[in-house]
Amino acid sequence: MNVIELDGLQVQLGGRVVLDGLTGELRGKAVGLLGPNGAGKSTLINTLLGFHMPTRGSAKVFGRDTRSERALIRQSVGYMPENDSFIGNMTGVRFVRYMAELAGLPAAEALERAHEALFYVGLGEVRYRKISTYSLGMKQLIKLAQALAHGPRLLILDEPTNGLDPMARQRMIQTLQEIRKEGSIHLLISSHLLRDIDQTCDEVLILKDGRVAALCNIEEERRSHRNFIELEAVGPTEKFCETLRGIGCECASFAGGRIKLVMPDRIESRDLYVVASQTGLQIRRIHRRRDSLEDIFMRAMEAEPARGELVRL
Amino acid sequence: MSVYKHEYRAYTGPLTPLWARVGVIVRYAFAEAWSTRITATLFTLSVAPVIVYLVGIYLANNQLARTLIMRGSPMLTIDAGYFLKVLETQSWLALVLAAWIAPRLVSFDLADNALPILLSHPISRFGYVLGKLLALFACLSLVTWIPCLLLFAFQGYSSAQPWVMANLRIAGGVLASSLLWIAFLSILGLALSSWVKWRVVATGIIFAVVFVPAGIGGIITGILRTKWGFLLNAPVMMTQLWQRILGAPPTMQGDLYLPSTAIVTVLLLVCAACVLMLNARIRAREVVRG
Repeated sequence: MNVIELDGLQVQLGGRVVLDGLTGELRGKAVGLLGPNGAGKSTLINTLLGFHMPTRGSAKVFGRDTRSERALIRQSVGYMPENDSFIGNMTGVRFVRYMAELAGLPAAEALERAHEALFYVGLGEVRYRKISTYSLGMKQLIKLAQALAHGPRLLILDEPTNGLDPMARQRMIQTLQEIRKEGSIHLLISSHLLRDIDQTCDEVLILKDGRVAALCNIEEERRSHRNFIELEAVGPTEKFCETLRGIGCECASFAGGRIKLVMPDRIESRDLYVVASQTGLQIRRIHRRRDSLEDIFMRAMEAEPARGELVRL
Repeated sequence: MSVYKHEYRAYTGPLTPLWARVGVIVRYAFAEAWSTRITATLFTLSVAPVIVYLVGIYLANNQLARTLIMRGSPMLTIDAGYFLKVLETQSWLALVLAAWIAPRLVSFDLADNALPILLSHPISRFGYVLGKLLALFACLSLVTWIPCLLLFAFQGYSSAQPWVMANLRIAGGVLASSLLWIAFLSILGLALSSWVKWRVVATGIIFAVVFVPAGIGGIITGILRTKWGFLLNAPVMMTQLWQRILGAPPTMQGDLYLPSTAIVTVLLLVCAACVLMLNARIRAREVVRG
């Protein structure tokens, strides 16, 4: 079943089109939402939660329409907003219990789950302190705890590592990885930090100017570019390149003995050494380049974003 | 999740019905209102006049006590006028209580930007506001119609004549007048509190919104020699309305009385403005136009 379905989704805010014809189906366990500032990431999240109404098209979460079935969607979603959002006058456990009760848990279960959620995110020892006395990292964690307490099917996290120090950030990433591993919750993580998405998500939806710039599986995308190799060599580089082209490689040589090549799947690394031996080339250094999420993101930013084109995961 | 294993587990238990979520808001708002000693003190002070009026009813109905304590003073009459005084006293104490409680119910949520999280749960903006209104309404009920009706019941019990059936209009009038006033106060208090971040300022503004226009209305009435200035004067306007509802004798010159429709229209207009204010402010996300 699709977690999120977008069908020509257009959202207009203050007379400006912020999301323009988003179409796609997200099924992944952990989907990263990437895009430059103003791309429409937060607007998409707010639309999924029913805070903004689509002006055209539709958005569905677990098959439920964001326009007409808001309450049911919110029942099954846990949301951690980007900015500070809590009731500072309440203790941690009271706040999380309150949110769990609002999500529909009976009072006794809500209290039990509030304690558990706070221990789970690492705030067990400070759960009776007022939230206004928490550090920035703790405030991020309390937002995560309240999003988890009612046992949602989809966890929407807007910039979860915002403002965290490296230790707290690492802990947040670890917690998200554990949640993903546990498997009962789908994650939708919006961030402008590619590293966070890289570490926590298996799929990524990249937005640009309110349109889908890319929707891809990170691992598959990497695999599709796994045979890009850079060499440093001494000897007849042109002859080496010609031989490689003859067996189907894309190859280019540069000054200083540098060679860049893309090998087809059927050719293995050891074939390079065989060709080098035949042509009398000495390979001094070999560097297998792996596509980073940054490469995927940059490629998406260079491409013209698609409007209304169906993208699937 | 388990406290000891620190592992996540999904919730598979029963859920409360959607309509019950408003009750959650009411319960937490009520607890918030009563979490401070000042609320308890104000409530105690608000109940004190009720005891005085209770003693009045006791004296009016007990000849021996009247002779011993009042020593031949004119006899107290327990009628619509007496209950109008009770209602006026309690209503203005309710204003004090509302000015203190209303900002507590809203400003904590607004100060820390809690609305995005609150409204991301299955509760609508209407449900949220309704919950807060009901909590404030319940608090104000404790000092208005509930003690007034208790006094009415006590008078009915103490009176030698069959008093209750002959004066049912007073009970109905007290109930209707109180409900009208506390509903008005609740919506006004929440609307004003939702626009002010600091609680003390919000409390001041609630008083100002009631009494500053009253002063302006008084000036208009004095200078222009017109009764219409009273439309800005909530104390006078409400007293006139309550007199009519309870059937109490008039206390002002006849030409100074406003038509009931004018009073109700003003109240409705203020309520409509409050609804607009709440609609603009109680949102998960604000949209910047332009």
